[in-house]
Parts: sequence; structure tokens; C-alpha cells
Amino acid sequence: MIEFQNVSKTYENGTKALRGIDLDIAKGEFVFIVGSSGAGKSTFLKLIMREEKPSSGEIIVNGRKLSTVKRRDIPYLRRTMGIVFQDFRLIDKMSVYDNVAFAMRVTGASSRDVRKRVPYILGLVGLQSKARCHPSELSGGEQQRVGLARALVNNPSMIIADEPTGNVDPALSFEIVDLLSEINRRGTTVLMVTHEHTLVKRFPRRVIEIKDGLVVGDSGRPEVQNED
Amino acid sequence: MKISSMGYLIREGFKNVWSNRMMSFASIGVLISCLLLTGAAMLFSLNVSSVMKSMEDENTITVYLKQEFTTLEAVKIGQEIQKISNIKDAAFISADEGLQQYKEMLGSLFDGLEGEENFLPHSWVITMEDLSQYDQTVAQIKEVNGVESIRDRRDSAMKLTSLNQLVSQVGFWVILALGIVSLFIISNTIRVTMFSRRLEISIMKSVGATNRFIRVPFIVEGVVIGLISAVLSTVLLRLVYNSLITGMNQIVPFTSISFDRLIVPIILGYTIAGITFGALGGMISIRKYLKKDGGEIIGW
Repeated sequence: MIEFQNVSKTYENGTKALRGIDLDIAKGEFVFIVGSSGAGKSTFLKLIMREEKPSSGEIIVNGRKLSTVKRRDIPYLRRTMGIVFQDFRLIDKMSVYDNVAFAMRVTGASSRDVRKRVPYILGLVGLQSKARCHPSELSGGEQQRVGLARALVNNPSMIIADEPTGNVDPALSFEIVDLLSEINRRGTTVLMVTHEHTLVKRFPRRVIEIKDGLVVGDSGRPEVQNED
Repeated sequence: MKISSMGYLIREGFKNVWSNRMMSFASIGVLISCLLLTGAAMLFSLNVSSVMKSMEDENTITVYLKQEFTTLEAVKIGQEIQKISNIKDAAFISADEGLQQYKEMLGSLFDGLEGEENFLPHSWVITMEDLSQYDQTVAQIKEVNGVESIRDRRDSAMKLTSLNQLVSQVGFWVILALGIVSLFIISNTIRVTMFSRRLEISIMKSVGATNRFIRVPFIVEGVVIGLISAVLSTVLLRLVYNSLITGMNQIVPFTSISFDRLIVPIILGYTIAGITFGALGGMISIRKYLKKDGGEIIGW
């Protein structure tokens, strides 16, 4: 699903964000990416989304070499991934429903498909009763579930979550990861960047640790995935 | 792009104009002043040309004789004038006839000036054979004994021409400057709201919207601003022009061009200009945010 082959990234200002990373994430995996800020986690995600290009090495996503993806094809690459942000990135002037529908609309979906799909996805994240609310009327945990619904609505093959619990009440963080686990059980690959060790301990998953632009730890795929 | 998407995008563009209405008004105001000035300069120039055309059509000069001559003497002087080689035709206008002409043109102002009271001299209206020898011929006429003065239409024609040239030159630069300013203001209007829209753009990019899809509402917004400006400009220009022409006709009667005869080219020109400026402004405002290879998603 995602393969990094000796990938390095040096920014124009000389910052070496990643230094020769080799990684292989299989389809259907649930992976925690951990590391302190500035370790290179954001760069790692930007490279997968093709927001940045690597300075050297090759990245393969869904069997496609990203170096061969043309600029105009980037939007189509992104439709295979759902992105969840730490700060939710919801549009407050839109209702919960419209926030999710908007993400579908901009990929050119028809009104009919939007009307069918959005309620289903809102049901999946348990927010059908809040469809008419605006984001500011929701709790942090609920807002992030809207973010998750938006990431899921275009039926991506992977979810990329950038510190999704960073702005959520710790007690509700588990709820978010539970939801991600549920999505993962249905076959979607999940990549979650976090620095919350309690989460990593509670949910035994593959953990990749990045430090100073290098992979310093990779637990590999746990034999049995079960959480208490 | 699908029709349903296109409809959605156009609706978004209209919504943007309304939700940023203060700035939209500013853009429309500037664009209107730009269009109005262009239109005014154009109409002025057209009218000057038409007035000059009618002057050229009658390439005649009027030769006034000295006041003291009797009709018979005046006719004799006319015969002298006709001996000059470049004269094609000469028509005698007696003082009475001259007065009659003025009365027709300016009305009751000349009542009661008949007969003894008539202050007009006898005159001859001369048509020339070859206009390129105009200056020599005029000089020759002036040398004929008894000629008091020559009313030369060329003088006023020259003045009009140079005024027209001045207006079109100054007008060109003013319009150019205003054009750049309005482009700048439109793109800034749209850009001012970019901070809140950057969030939307980053979300759109993160879910895989194409650049074209992101761009369309901005262009629609610009085009709507341009179209509103075009319509309002047409209405305003008609109002201003008609009242100006009516006012001027009361001072100096002249044949002006009617606005309604030009309404089609004016509407067409304004619409094209409005759409072009609006669309350009929209494209300029969004360009920066789409330029970067993958766009800004994380850490926008």
C-alpha cells in the first residue's frame, strides 16, 4: 500500500527532514507514527500526499510510483486517501451535513450521490442527529468525528490522521481511535500520527517511531490485534 | 466537468459575491468609474467626428464685406472675388437674407433688427475648387478691396480636432491607469477574503479537488462583479450622456449622436470588458494559492 524506498527530504532552507527512510505498510494495516515534534512526521505525511516531493528515493502508494504521478493527477491520488487533521479543519459557516457533503461535491459527485452517501457516513460516525448543527455547537470529540466522516465520504483506501486526538479531551481520544479501528476492520488502511503514549499502549498496533528524520523503531505488525 | 458540478460551482461564485458584498461593492464602483470614463471619452470623440464631418461637407467660407456698401457695390466686389482662379462658386447673401438665416437658427433674438437696424453686412459664400490651396485662396480674397473679414470654419475645425486628440490621448492614459487599478482592486477584493477561503482550499485539496474545480467559483465571482458593473455603467452612461447633450444643445445647437443608436455596441463592449476584467481579477487572486506544486494541506 505505502512503500518508502530510501527516501530523503531536504528542504530548500537546508533542513534535513528525512534521511533515508525505508518502510513498507501493507493494505489493511493500522499504524501509529510516533515521534517528537520536528522529528519528520509532517514531512512523512506530506510526501505520501504528494504535497512535497522527496529529494531522493522513491515512494509507492497504491502501486503507483509518486515520482511518475503528474501534477494534474495529484487530485486523483488524493481521492484514494482520507485526511484527518489535528485542528479538525471544519468550515463553521456550514452545517455538519454540508461540511461532509462539500468534500464529496468538490470531487464532482452528483447531488443524488451526495444525498445518499452523506447520511450513511454520518450514521457510521454516530452523528446523524447532529447533521443540522454547526461545528461550533459540537464538542471537540464530535468535531473530530465530523472530520473523520469527511475523510471517509469519498471512500478512500486509506485514512491519514495527523494527530487526530491532539485537540480532543483525553477521555474522548479513545473514542476516536475506536472509530478508526472500526474503519480499519472494514478494510481501510489507517495511518495515525500521534505523540500520546497512552493511546499507543492501549491499542496494540504497529508503531513506527521517527526521530531526527530516521526510523528508529518499528514494532512490526502485531500477531494478534485485540484491544481491551 | 459534469453539468451538475458546473451548476454547483456557479452557485458558489454567486454566493461569494454576496457574502463579501462590501468588497464586491468596492470593486463594482471602481469598475463602473472605469467603464464610464471610457464610454464618455468614446462618445465625446464620436460626436466631435460627426460635427467635423458635417463641417467638411460644407467646405465653404463666408466673406463679409464692409458695412457701407450698397447691394450693387457688393455684387461688384463679388465679381472681383470670382476672378480668383480657385473659386468654384460664389453665392451672394444680402444683409436681409443674412438676418433671415440668423433668425431661423437662433429665433426671436433677432426680431426688430430689420431694415435700418440691421447690423449685418452683405456677404458672399464661396466654395473652393481645390481645398489644398485653401490658405492661398483665402489670402487672395482678403486682398480684394472692400472685404472686411472672412469667417473661416477651419479655425474652429482645427480647435475641435486638437481638443479631440487631447481628449483621446489623456483619455487613453486615464483609462489604462483605471483599468490596472480596477484589476488590482477586483483581485484584492477576492483576495481579502482569502484567509478564510484558504481553509476551504486546503480542505478541497485534501479531498482531491482539481485546480480547475477550485478556480471556477473565483472566476464566476469576478465575472458576476464585471457583469453587474457593465449593466450599471450602461444605465448611468445613458443618463449622464442624455442630460449633458440636452444641456449643451440649449447653449449651442448641434446634431448629436443619439445614445440609443449606439446602445448595442455599448452594451456589448461593456459586457466584454466587464467579463474580461472580472475573470482576470478572479484568476489573479487565486493564482498564488494554486501555484505550489501540491498545494498547502498540512500547515496551510
